[in-house]
Amino acid sequence: MEYPTTVSDLTRHLREGGYLADRGLATALVVSLSLRRPVLLEGEVGVGKTEVAKVLASVFGRRLIRLQCYEGIDTNQALYEWDYARQMLQIRALSEHQVTDEQAVDRLFGPKLLLERPLLEAVRAGDEAVLLIDEIDRADDEFEAFLLEVLSDFQISIPEVGTIKADTAPAVILTSNRTRELHDALRRRCLYHWIGYPSQEREVEIVLVREPGAAEQLTRKVVGAVHRLRELDLAKPPGVAETIDWVRTLGFLGETDLTAESAGDTLGAVIKDRDDLDLVRDNLEEITSRA
Amino acid sequence: MISTWSATTWKRSPHVPDRAPFTEVLVGFARELRGAGVTVGTGDVLTYCQATATLDPTDLVDVYWAGRATLVSKPDDITGYNEAFRRYFLAEGAAAAGVLTLRASAAMEAEAAAFVMPATDPPSADTDEEPAVLGWMASDVDALKHRSFAACTPAELAALRKIMARLRLTPPRRRTRRTRPAPAGRSPDLRKTIRDSMRMHGEPAQLYFRQRKTKLRPLILILDVSGSMADYSRHLLQFAHTARHAAAKVEVFCFGTRLTRITRMLEHRRPDSALEQAAQAVVDWDGGTRIGQSLDTFIRRFGRSGLCRSGVVVICSDGLDRGDPGQLAAVMERLSRLCYRIVWLNPHKGDNPHFRPTTLGMMVAAPHIDLLLSGHDLASLEQLAAMLPLLN
Repeated sequence: MEYPTTVSDLTRHLREGGYLADRGLATALVVSLSLRRPVLLEGEVGVGKTEVAKVLASVFGRRLIRLQCYEGIDTNQALYEWDYARQMLQIRALSEHQVTDEQAVDRLFGPKLLLERPLLEAVRAGDEAVLLIDEIDRADDEFEAFLLEVLSDFQISIPEVGTIKADTAPAVILTSNRTRELHDALRRRCLYHWIGYPSQEREVEIVLVREPGAAEQLTRKVVGAVHRLRELDLAKPPGVAETIDWVRTLGFLGETDLTAESAGDTLGAVIKDRDDLDLVRDNLEEITSRA
Repeated sequence: MISTWSATTWKRSPHVPDRAPFTEVLVGFARELRGAGVTVGTGDVLTYCQATATLDPTDLVDVYWAGRATLVSKPDDITGYNEAFRRYFLAEGAAAAGVLTLRASAAMEAEAAAFVMPATDPPSADTDEEPAVLGWMASDVDALKHRSFAACTPAELAALRKIMARLRLTPPRRRTRRTRPAPAGRSPDLRKTIRDSMRMHGEPAQLYFRQRKTKLRPLILILDVSGSMADYSRHLLQFAHTARHAAAKVEVFCFGTRLTRITRMLEHRRPDSALEQAAQAVVDWDGGTRIGQSLDTFIRRFGRSGLCRSGVVVICSDGLDRGDPGQLAAVMERLSRLCYRIVWLNPHKGDNPHFRPTTLGMMVAAPHIDLLLSGHDLASLEQLAAMLPLLN
């Protein structure tokens, strides 16, 4: 399916895929898809940065290619690598006469022995793919610099093979949790969108879309409690993902109402830090009653 | 001049239909943004124009979000963008009003009136410094290496500073996951070995190796700038400057009763004036020092998101905490779990090797401190510079 060119169309399609995008995010995505520019999503943990790429891929029938970043990630893990063991074996198997043969050498650096990693895969796939570069802030500066080149031209040079270029650039989504500042050069190559926490009504809507079996009354109470939790001075405020988890957990346990007791039993679904747990347990009555 | 150029280029650009009046409005908006301190390159303006062209340029909401996506690249700039947008597009008698009414229908104007700025602003990363009225008095007395900083004349301070500029504050190194070619190492460099064996008719004659790289750990200075400590802290700032020359990542924070990040200020200003400004922003003279609370702010706003992870935190304070000692104990414990090592400089320690902390704050913090130094004179700072790379 072609990507839509209007904001409302895209919002509708994403909604069908179970993702509620607000106006800003949808605009950034439409612009990114029509200009073929990568989009950089930043925001609090668990607000659906990664999810939007997954939904985009599934709704429009694209292949999701995910590159999870981590410290020390290099070209071997992001771009391509030769299958060295096979190469070595093949060299050993060649007789002296064959080594001088052009084709034998070509085979040695042929597609069979080339291991594609996410970036190469995405460049090859072109428009067939959605490339998700997840948690780019976890990679180090060196990798960021390398990424610049790939993101601006969508071409990759392999010395033994030549240059591979995408006919149409794939849709690219980068996410960052802001554990460190990204370089301006990378930011400049991307469209930028900050995803904040949704409003209370919107969050209820989101939970009901993701978790269609959930009771609306319970969902409202849970969302109210989560919003109250975000006002508290927590080390790790819960994201939307935690809200959904909480509703799911309560539903699984067959709870129909959020009381101080049921909230206390299931607090592990929303609060993931010991100091926060202590703080929340002290205020549990107030949090659940106000919701 | 630049904006005029981009305007004409854009008109010639094949992707975009000719909507000259709009281009001028958009380019004018970019100029307004620059005026508001947001960095906007000509390329960004081009993208902005292309983006609005793919959307509906008479819809103000589209114009807003297209700009947010293309012209803003940092969360810190969003506030500035919103203000500029409001000024340029929404204010009465705004610069763009004439052209907009020229192009847009009455319906659009109605929408503009009802246009609500979305409330998705991220929390701003730095507290703005509000200029407070207070004096800054440099103490004056005198001597050299073993004389306390608090007791130097300005001329001697200048001399000391020259010596200090030659000292290097180098944090310890850590191994990274990135590798480099090495004559010997644990993991073989297969790529190089195979390539090399081609020359030998496929005989892997020599084995090459790779080794993990090392990298300087980040250095985080948290300086007490309240009245009694300011003289000591400013010398540490000098160090922060030299440490940056050593290609290490350095972050500097100041606190009195509140915490302020002054890393950015230091990039542009002389350390002295930056510290002075920071002190004006952070110190409420009657409030005394609140170490626990300031460190708590540090952990919540910066430490939690990984700023000090695997780094060395240097705290310079006398430990005279006016806040809750329980809070200080809790945050010190948390900080010790978040960072690699904690160094505490307490000028009251002086040259006394058998110094025992007597203030409540110091006693509470002591179990989590890896290295306690004095930092009250040049010799002790030299000692810090010598010990720092060995903190393993």
